[in-house]
Amino acid sequence: MSGYYTPEEAQDVFLKANEAYAREDYAAAQTGYEKLLSNGHGGADVLYNLGTTHLARGDLGRAVLFLEQAKKEGVRAPDLEANLSVARARQVDKVVGATAEEEFLPRVAAATDGAVVAWTFLGTWVAAFALLILWRALRPGRRTAVGVVAALLFAVAIPSGLLLATHAWVDETVHEAVVLAPTLVARELPQPGARSIFEVHAGLKVRLLEETGRFVRIRLPNGLEGWAEREGVAEI
Amino acid sequence: MRRTGSARGVVLAVLALLATMPAWANDDIDFYQTADRTEVGSDDTFRLTVVVVDPPSDAQVKLPESEDFEVLSSSRGSQRSISLSGGGPAVIQDVTRYVLVMRATRAGRLKIPPAELTARGKTYRTQPVEIAVRTGRLGAPSGQSSRGSQLPDPFANTPSTRPDPLADELEEDEPTIPRGDSDLFLRASLDRDDVYVGEQVTLSLYIYSRVDLSSVDSVTMPKLEGFWTEEVESPTQLSGEQKIVDGVPYRAYLLRRRAIFPVRPGALSITPAEADITTGFLFAGHRVHRVSNALKVKVKALPPGAPAGMSNAHVGNWRLSMDVSQTRVELGQPVTVKVILEGVGNVKNVTPPKLTGPAALKIYDPTTTDKVAPQRNRVQGRRVVEYLVMPQRTGTFTLPALEFPYFDPRLESYEVARTDPVTITVEAGAGGVSALPASPSQVADAANEQKNVLTAGGLRPVRYQARFVAPSEPPWRRAFFVPAVLAPVGLLLGLALIGGVRGRLATRTEADRGRQQAKAARRRLAEAEKLQGGANVGAFYGEVEKALHGFLEARLGMPVGGLTREVLAERLTHAGADAERRSRVLFVLEACDIGRYGGGGNPAERQKVMDAAAAAMEGWA
Repeated sequence: MSGYYTPEEAQDVFLKANEAYAREDYAAAQTGYEKLLSNGHGGADVLYNLGTTHLARGDLGRAVLFLEQAKKEGVRAPDLEANLSVARARQVDKVVGATAEEEFLPRVAAATDGAVVAWTFLGTWVAAFALLILWRALRPGRRTAVGVVAALLFAVAIPSGLLLATHAWVDETVHEAVVLAPTLVARELPQPGARSIFEVHAGLKVRLLEETGRFVRIRLPNGLEGWAEREGVAEI
Repeated sequence: MRRTGSARGVVLAVLALLATMPAWANDDIDFYQTADRTEVGSDDTFRLTVVVVDPPSDAQVKLPESEDFEVLSSSRGSQRSISLSGGGPAVIQDVTRYVLVMRATRAGRLKIPPAELTARGKTYRTQPVEIAVRTGRLGAPSGQSSRGSQLPDPFANTPSTRPDPLADELEEDEPTIPRGDSDLFLRASLDRDDVYVGEQVTLSLYIYSRVDLSSVDSVTMPKLEGFWTEEVESPTQLSGEQKIVDGVPYRAYLLRRRAIFPVRPGALSITPAEADITTGFLFAGHRVHRVSNALKVKVKALPPGAPAGMSNAHVGNWRLSMDVSQTRVELGQPVTVKVILEGVGNVKNVTPPKLTGPAALKIYDPTTTDKVAPQRNRVQGRRVVEYLVMPQRTGTFTLPALEFPYFDPRLESYEVARTDPVTITVEAGAGGVSALPASPSQVADAANEQKNVLTAGGLRPVRYQARFVAPSEPPWRRAFFVPAVLAPVGLLLGLALIGGVRGRLATRTEADRGRQQAKAARRRLAEAEKLQGGANVGAFYGEVEKALHGFLEARLGMPVGGLTREVLAERLTHAGADAERRSRVLFVLEACDIGRYGGGGNPAERQKVMDAAAAAMEGWA
């Protein structure tokens, strides 16, 4: 954590931003929360407050972006879900059509906690090897119990390792983003003059597929794809 | 193409003929013709039956031809009957009938010329038949069903007690065969032509054909001005069904079927449809253009006395319901309210009643979804309007009942579909809601004295406690993680490697060890050589002795320190050392004992001992 603010100073900035929000001075509230974030005093609570402030200001794109970031960082909370619902209700785009089936691995990753999986794997993996070394050192008569425990640890370590690999793969390859631009044109090719396929508006959650120059290829929840300008979206 | 006539008509004609035996029957061959009607319309068809009884084998029949009549269909049938009476010989009679479906080309009293029969060198003629033709359509002859397309029903007299399950099925009007292209024509029809505004009329477009069709291209549907339309059926493949039109069999192919809803009263016209039709197969086929008939619909205005909120599109039979996701919510938690209108009618043009509520319940703009599922060509389905309702205060609030007035054309009366009011209880969230100062604009409903009004239009408030954390990286991305995962594997491999080396070392041969010891002994002898010229004579001899002992231990595989000279000589002999080597060894050991304890010797003596020791070691592999 950055040493720019002491914990007391950070709390003070946070409270002042809250007070600004309460008196509907959303610009001041936003500045306060952003200061905390830029100086390493982030977290789900600050992101939630910043997203809520943007929502109150009517900046739907950044509201969804920070609320989704808060959701990604912390546990699911009713206030977060409620404000996200409000943001979705205000979105211009209602994506229609058959919802593209989410791939299996992203669904698995979404259903499990990556940190828990990582620590479980590391713990059981190291312990299992330690017991394996102990097993080699022991005389044959005393090996049984150590061997059984080592096998059990491996039985946990291997699936959790596969799950960890899934998380790592999804973290590396699946990139979700939120449309920030009021109107973002998706084109057929990554060129400014290419034919426009569709338009999306601020607040819509999309998937980033690839990047070329200043264009990114986005995919809508219903599977529609197109090239849009990089500045128009922000990764969650 | 073979054309067949109606058997029922033939039977009727024969019975009529037998009842009044014509006076013009020839003497030896019964040959006559008769029509099933004496008065027809110019658009009606009638049947002319030409009968020959017991024709000779060489009989040739020439059917009547006239420009006043067109023959739409002709068929020929033969019948043989055997009758026995009074014990006499059996009487066998052959009857041949020609049935022509005809239509007059003009009005007036027209005469069907006689048919001719040539046999045995003679020509027989029937009497001509006179028909009174009036302009237009007179309908079917008496005693015959008005729907001439129906085939004879063998169970017509069987009383039926079962209700007709298809009573609601559309009944299309009977087509007429157009003049000029009776083999292939396009026909548009309506299931009804006298309806109320907003009531469904079903428009069907058929091809009637007596030739083989291969494809239908570029169908142009009528311009349906004054109608709201909905596709009901649009076959992708031609599939024909047998139909009898004015006694003439056709295959009828449905091209399109549309539900049309008139939007204004009056006499509305439907222009003809057009289609390009390809007949025949492969190279024998050719393309023809056909235009259907135009249609008219008489549209009645809805009767007076309509309830408030009634619209011309609200015609049919409707049910209204309201689906609320939850009736007890926490403050700031959204509620989904669905207003569902379902029934028979123009689903996509009805407008469900708008949901309203108290100021404490903020109602966002709705989304509308339709599900249209036509059944038996009747458009029906459901229209769902979904609202997001966000409570702004705690308390108990009521969404009022909704009403949807509509006109039921079957009952010819106005009806109203209703829902019950819905009560929503809004509770304070578990610690999530604070009593924040509210601006006057937000407190629109002064009647409600609740203080905990949310800011920012129904948003959950910001959090007042924060746990500050730096942007976190997933554990597997931290620097230690991968080494920590690989370390146990590396450690295990290292241990395995060490074990392998140790094992290998353990399995080294005694000979190797001996060679090493011998090598060490030689090195020691080289050290002794350095001491040869020194003042410490004892050290020199001690070193030589140690070198030789080491060498002998390496070669004999046993310690030699405590052995007597005799025992050592025996061991050397046993180890294969020759006499000369044995004597050298014993000499060196003896000289070393003397040199160490006896005060030394001259340098020449030491050199001699050195040479003897080297000679004892050399050449003993």
